[in-house]
Amino acid sequence: MKKSFAYPIIFMSLITAIYTFLLAFLDHSTAEQIEFLASADLQKKILYVFDIPVKSQDPEKIDKQFKEKITIKEIDGEKVYLLGENEDVKAFAYPVRGAGLWGSIEAYIGISADYSKLVGIEFISHSETPGLGGRIDEDWYKNQFRGIELKKSKNEYIVYSPSPNANVDAITGATLTSQSVRDIVNVNIGKILEEKKVD
Amino acid sequence: MKKVKEIFRMGLWEDNPVFGQILGICSALAVTNLMLNSLIMGLGLIFVTALSSFTISLIRSFTPKHIRMMVQVLIISAYVIIVDIFLKAYYPDMSKALGPYVGLIITNCIIMGRAEAFAQKNTPFISLIDGVASGLGYTMVLLMISFVRELLGFGTLFGYTIFSENFTPWTIMVMPPAAFFLLAMIIWGANIFLNKKEKRKEVSKA
Repeated sequence: MKKSFAYPIIFMSLITAIYTFLLAFLDHSTAEQIEFLASADLQKKILYVFDIPVKSQDPEKIDKQFKEKITIKEIDGEKVYLLGENEDVKAFAYPVRGAGLWGSIEAYIGISADYSKLVGIEFISHSETPGLGGRIDEDWYKNQFRGIELKKSKNEYIVYSPSPNANVDAITGATLTSQSVRDIVNVNIGKILEEKKVD
Repeated sequence: MKKVKEIFRMGLWEDNPVFGQILGICSALAVTNLMLNSLIMGLGLIFVTALSSFTISLIRSFTPKHIRMMVQVLIISAYVIIVDIFLKAYYPDMSKALGPYVGLIITNCIIMGRAEAFAQKNTPFISLIDGVASGLGYTMVLLMISFVRELLGFGTLFGYTIFSENFTPWTIMVMPPAAFFLLAMIIWGANIFLNKKEKRKEVSKA
C-alpha cells in the first residue's frame, strides 16, 4: 500500500487540504479584527500628524477620538484627512509618496488650513535601513517639521542645517534617506500649494 | 510518569536544545533584548513544537517514509502561521516587536529536530510532552539571556523599572553582540557542569 505510486500523492494532497482549510478558516475569522487594528494604527498616525496626543493605546478609544475630530474628504481620488469639519477646518493631512534610498516612502504631511504652516509629518511605510535611515520614524526627527512656515514663491521649504535658514537637522549616517525625505516634502508641498493657487 | 520526568530532565538540562544541541541560536540572539519578547517567542515555540510533534506522531504510521520531511514542514508551517495570525489579531504590539521572527519560527531547527528524532518513533502523547519540554528548555535559555540584557541595557525587567534614573544603561547589552557573549557564557557554564557530572559517573562506574 505505502509502496504504491498514488498513495503519497493522495496523502500529501489530503494533509495540504486539511491544513489549508484550517488556516483559511482562521484567517477569515480574524480578518475583521486585523483590519480594525490596521485602521486604528493609521488613525493614530493621522492624529500624530495633527499633533493631537492619543489618550489611550486602546484601538476602540483611538477610533472614537479619531471620529470626533477628523473628517475624510476625497480630492482627486486621494483620501485627505481634515482636522475639524466644514467651515471649521484647521488643517489638512495630505498623502505623499516618493523614492527613498531603498524603496518608496509613504507619508502624510499636515498643512494648516491657510496653507501657511507645516503641522507635522508621519511615515506610513518605508524600507530604509533599520537604525540608520529607519530613524526617520523617531519622534525627535518628525517633530522638527512642526510649525515650519511655508514661505511664498520658494520651492525649498525644508532646509537641513548647517545651511543658512536651516530648519531641520538631518539624521547622522543617513544622508541619502534624509535628502529623500526633504525632496519628497518639498516637491509635494510645492504641488499642493500650486493646486490651491496660493502664491 | 517516570518517562515524563526523564523527558523534562533531558529537554531542560542535559539535552537542552540551545546549550546542549546548539539549535535555535539564530532566534535566541535576535529576540533577547527584552524579556517580554523572549517570553512570547518562547511560548510561540512551545506551542509549535508541542503541537507539530503531536500531529507528526499521530500520523506517523500512515506517512510514507520518503515524503515525511515534506509532511513535517507543512505541518510545522501551518502551526507557525496560526501563531502569527493570533499575535496579529490579539497582540499587535507584540507582533510588531517580533516582526519577521515569528514567521521564522519555522526555520527553528529545534522543531524539525524533535520531529525527526523523537515524534517519528514515539506515541503522540509522549511526543507532545517532549515538544513542551524542548520548548521550555529553549524559553529558559532565552529568558536567562534577556534577563541580563534587559536589566543592564535598559535597567528594567518586563518593562518595570528596576534601577533608578541615575543608572547608566550599558548600550552594548541592547546591541546584538551582547547576545553572542552571553550565549557563549551560558554554553560554557552549562558544559562545565555537564562534564563534571559525566566524569563523576565514569569514576563511580570504574
